Amino acid sequence: MAGYASCRLDIDGIRKTYAGGVVAVDDISLTVEKGEVLALLGPSGCGKTTLLQSIAGFVTPDRGDIALDGQSILTVAPERRRTAMMFQHYALFPHMSVRDNIGFGLKMMKVAKPEAVRRIDDVLRLVRIEALAERMPSQLSGGQRQRVALARAVVTEPRMLLLDEPLGALDQNLREEMQSELRKLQQRLGLTTVMVTHDQREAIVLSDRIAVMHDGKVEQIGTARDIYDHPCTCYVANFTGVENLLPAERGAEGVVILAGVAIEGIVDPGLAARKGAVTLAVRSEAISLSPGVSHGAIPATVTFVQMLGASMRYEVELDDGTRLVVAEVRRETAPYSVGDKVSARFAANRCSILEA
Amino acid sequence: MTRQAFLLSLPALLLVCLFGVVMFSFAEISLLSMKPGAAVFSGPPSLANYERLLASSGAWRAVATTMRLSFIITVLCIVAGYPLARVLARSPSASLRRFVLFCLVGTFLSGGVTRAYAWLIILGNRGIINRGLEAFGLPTLKLLNNEFAVVVSVLNFVLPFFVMTLFGALKTIPATLEDASRNLGASPMRTFLHVTLPLSIPGLAVSTSLCFAMSLGAFLFPQMLGGGRVQVLATAIYERIQASYNIPEAAALAFLFFILVIVILVVTGLLRRLVGRRFAGDPA
Repeated sequence: MAGYASCRLDIDGIRKTYAGGVVAVDDISLTVEKGEVLALLGPSGCGKTTLLQSIAGFVTPDRGDIALDGQSILTVAPERRRTAMMFQHYALFPHMSVRDNIGFGLKMMKVAKPEAVRRIDDVLRLVRIEALAERMPSQLSGGQRQRVALARAVVTEPRMLLLDEPLGALDQNLREEMQSELRKLQQRLGLTTVMVTHDQREAIVLSDRIAVMHDGKVEQIGTARDIYDHPCTCYVANFTGVENLLPAERGAEGVVILAGVAIEGIVDPGLAARKGAVTLAVRSEAISLSPGVSHGAIPATVTFVQMLGASMRYEVELDDGTRLVVAEVRRETAPYSVGDKVSARFAANRCSILEA
Repeated sequence: MTRQAFLLSLPALLLVCLFGVVMFSFAEISLLSMKPGAAVFSGPPSLANYERLLASSGAWRAVATTMRLSFIITVLCIVAGYPLARVLARSPSASLRRFVLFCLVGTFLSGGVTRAYAWLIILGNRGIINRGLEAFGLPTLKLLNNEFAVVVSVLNFVLPFFVMTLFGALKTIPATLEDASRNLGASPMRTFLHVTLPLSIPGLAVSTSLCFAMSLGAFLFPQMLGGGRVQVLATAIYERIQASYNIPEAAALAFLFFILVIVILVVTGLLRRLVGRRFAGDPA
């Protein structure tokens, strides 16, 4: 499909206060490059949906500016913005067939009938639902509805795509299938996309960059890898599922002391900024265990063992009582059992140093 | 029918039976006639009352007036009530919603006679409107004892029922459908025409037939504000009982009215099934 003239999105100092003085979005500025996918990740009430709706024009911010390719769209009516949205529960028109749903935008844009039919057929093929064109939405499964919603959003060749919890309404199996499909489609069309989700896994697999939001502010923005490996606050670490947030001590010369043992070679930029008591954030899979005592590793005792299929999950206790969660890919050798003395070694390039 | 379903519907069934008994006694009386010079009616049974009614221009005029006024009231109800229902269902301003609701419920709760007197005070020759006109040196209007007064007062009576019924239906249309329509390039007007209106047709059909049925049966307001010059079916029946004291003829007219209502119910029911099939579809 041709004709996608994707845009750069600039959000500059947006603020939105609702009645009762609730600040939903608090001075957010960010840029989404042409063809890039940005995920707004956060729990409900963090302002991510308000921000998305401000871009679509359903919410008018109190302050700040939103621009597409350098041109402000704040005073443009929602129907003229061409920011196609895929709604959380798809919002398909129940009184129209799949074909009419997809053709609605083209009809409103007064696209000539033969041209419209061709474009609808193209997009039906693109999302692989040619056979469902004449069905009504009530006759479709969740996954099929999602495809229709996506087709309806992209058929108008919008300037950007907005996704509101794109996979939230699907069950687990379908979700994984649609994840890769959505990603491929987005890459093929090269559409600038902003998506809203509360699911960190969804954000990681679907987007180029992630903005973690908290109380109307962007807490951290970066590539999925940055956010995953190096959260910069405890909130981000917690929300993105970091299992181990450990009280530690900042020693001299870039050394972090945990349970009396120095961990060297940590490359987190946060390290230089912190002094004294700090929090060490490590994912369970960035810790490895070895039997017995080994130099430079922290001695620990296994307290809990759980089989997860492809991996094992251990809980171990350090000498000072600190508990760690460790995930290990299963090896040929027998797994540890409760009571085993082990040594825990941290992958230094995947540790983050946060404020205590 | 299960035992439980039967027990639960028993009160309603009894009420329907009672209604059937009343209609049966109407039908029976309507076949009798008044004894001349006495306040009793007796046999032999005949269809004379019906023949007389069907041949009289007065009865037909009452039917025509009833139908015409009910139709006008229903149309006005849609015009005035749809925006109100929409405000109740969609307005972002809570105080506006509360105000509209307060007005409607206020109308609900004030009794019929009270409201009829209120309209007398407002519309009377020396009423609020006419005194206002006088104060500005304008000629006064004849607002009472005519169809205008009946339409206004009956409209005031049925509007809350219409708005509340439609409000319930509009509330079930997800607001995101309207957002989706705007998002796809439809102006607010086209969003209304292509999305909101078609989806509200089933609800509109229910509230409209309710409104029409209530207007058909209205008695108090035509009686009090029509001043005897507006003869609808309900007042025509009343007049036969109170003024000419011809109870069998009143019963016959009531029975004809009953048949008319059944015909209207069947027709609107068919229409509703038709639009229901066209516009139904669970909001996906």
